[in-house]
Amino acid sequence: MMSRLGRNLCFACVSVLLVSSLGCNKPRATPVSPPPPRPAPAPADQPPTPSPTASISASPSSIDRGEQTTLSWETQNASAILIDQGIGNVNARGSIVVSPNDSTTYTIVARGGGGDARASTRVTIVEPRRLEPVVSLSDAEGLRREIEAGNVQDVFFEFDKADLSTMSQARLDRNAEIFKRYPQAKVIIEGHCDERGTEEYNLALGDRRALATYQFLVSRGVASSQLETISYGEERPFDPGHTESAWAQNRRAHFVAGN
Amino acid sequence: MRSLGFRFLIVLCFWYSSVQGQDRPYVIEIGQTAPTRLAVAPFTARSSDTQETVSTIKVFDEVLWSDLKFAGMFEMPSRSFYPLTPIRLREDVEFENWQVPSLDVDFLAFGNLQVYETAVVVEAFLFDVKTRQQVMGRRYTIADPTLIRRVAHQFADQIVFRLSAGASRGVAQTQIAYSAQKGSAKEIYVMDYDGNNVRTITANGGLNKFPEWTPDNSKLTFVTNLSSRRGWELWLQDLAGGRTVVPTPSNFVSSPAVSPDGNRLAFASREASGDNPEIFTSELNGSGRRNLTRHPAIDASPTWSPTGQQIAFISDRTGTPQLWMMDADGTNLRRLVSEGGHCDSPSWSPDGRFILYTWQAPKQWTHDIYIVEVATLRIFQLTSGAGSNENPSWSPDGRHVVFQSTRSGSRQIFIMNADGKNLKQLTAYGINGSPAWSGYFRAEE
Repeated sequence: MMSRLGRNLCFACVSVLLVSSLGCNKPRATPVSPPPPRPAPAPADQPPTPSPTASISASPSSIDRGEQTTLSWETQNASAILIDQGIGNVNARGSIVVSPNDSTTYTIVARGGGGDARASTRVTIVEPRRLEPVVSLSDAEGLRREIEAGNVQDVFFEFDKADLSTMSQARLDRNAEIFKRYPQAKVIIEGHCDERGTEEYNLALGDRRALATYQFLVSRGVASSQLETISYGEERPFDPGHTESAWAQNRRAHFVAGN
Repeated sequence: MRSLGFRFLIVLCFWYSSVQGQDRPYVIEIGQTAPTRLAVAPFTARSSDTQETVSTIKVFDEVLWSDLKFAGMFEMPSRSFYPLTPIRLREDVEFENWQVPSLDVDFLAFGNLQVYETAVVVEAFLFDVKTRQQVMGRRYTIADPTLIRRVAHQFADQIVFRLSAGASRGVAQTQIAYSAQKGSAKEIYVMDYDGNNVRTITANGGLNKFPEWTPDNSKLTFVTNLSSRRGWELWLQDLAGGRTVVPTPSNFVSSPAVSPDGNRLAFASREASGDNPEIFTSELNGSGRRNLTRHPAIDASPTWSPTGQQIAFISDRTGTPQLWMMDADGTNLRRLVSEGGHCDSPSWSPDGRFILYTWQAPKQWTHDIYIVEVATLRIFQLTSGAGSNENPSWSPDGRHVVFQSTRSGSRQIFIMNADGKNLKQLTAYGINGSPAWSGYFRAEE
């Protein structure tokens, strides 16, 4: 009973809205209005209310469907902070794990006495693209194109660890299928570290990461003769920053097509 | 002449800092407590004040003064207290004026210099002020004024050698090898211990890291990743030209070190069929290779004890990289530091007593330099609160340390006394790291 009543009420409301919006769409002559006056400058004796600031980022910024990513944000001078896409009101700074089904732009609005500030970040859902098979293409060229298309994905590591997470193993399973499609192509597995360890230890840790990746791929049927490893330690950071999210980007095994 | 040995003093004043943050000074004293007081009078022109002679004297005076100051063995009263009479030869010295309370020096160095058309001649003296006896007199002849820094370094080392009764041969003629960023490459360079006279050792456009000297200073060993080849190679580069690539079990190799007898290398590498870094030793040509660790953890960064009987290294077999040592055949494994956090880059002191290393406290992102006394496992902290400090290496007399630090904003090379004092920045531009102090270059008389 109640639900039917609710549905009817809703229907009535929507009808009213529809009617009124239809009414607005009627063509009618509108006089050209003069431009609005400029807002008066703030009186000099009042200290200006500081404008709010807002920033938001996603790490990683591109994921497979079903994977998770972390949104991190920071605001200043704001009394009300809202993130769209159903997240709602949030604290001045923080982070949240999201798992969107499709590529999504998250916008944060920070509202304060000094106005509004907005920032956005986009989480891209990577769709594995099946390339058109070209018979004449060499394996090396084929693998190169798969890598360029973003179909071969890097795997990421925890601080001071060379263990492969469940998510990394799933990625490597997909990578292994691609590598097996191009058996003549060489794959170079690069091990990378963030800058926080020492240079010497990082060179060793990067080797462990590359080898852990190598061994997993071999266990999934990739020919060991197809794979090579190299550690770059902390020499080749993907993100030159000195933040947690930069460090997370730099702890990875990266795949390069060899000759 | 009475023995000068007992006049010399070594004070290593370590600021002991426990991990709990309770600080207390810890002083190791050897010998007497009164430091030697030394004056170094400005050198004078031997015959005429030509412009070239005056400018060469200026360089000589500055280098000699900073060498003796950095030696950290002497009290050197300010030159503002010096008598005004210029000293060319012994006859010009008014010894009583060097014994007034404001100076009261034990020793006085002085001399003269002249730039001639075909040569530069320096006469340098060291006198015992109280006995008015000559301790040392040297005459140096060089081809041209560009070599004057070498003469000053040599005289400084001779003073240190005499006044320390042979405990130190001085570090003024030593050199430091390091790795400098050049675009996306890292190349090996060598400079004098004071940062001057930089020479290029590699220009191959690859990554060249972790140089170490052979004991005779004739070669450097380091690891190289050339973009044309995959993986890392172990190189032995002759400073006179020519190099050999030392065979390693796999294309991962890092942090090589040459044994004190110059016959063996220790390095971190991975077995061809392995998945983790181990400590290996081999002959310089790669033969006789032995895997000393055989443990499924990261084992890296080996350093030889001065006897060549032991190797200290780092291993993360307990979870995080910690400092361990073993005999050079892999037996008698024992842990040296057990404070948690991350240890790396051990360097064994020339007298065998201490091991320098870096430590990163748990949940901290910077590294500091520490010393562990091998016999007692006591730990002394050398740097704190100034950037991240890595890759320490001993001077050949064991009285100084070279290391890299981000304290000036970018990664640069610094030297200091082994008590953490007397800090001096050697490089200022670009990114410079992995410093390695050479051995002594010549025997002092």
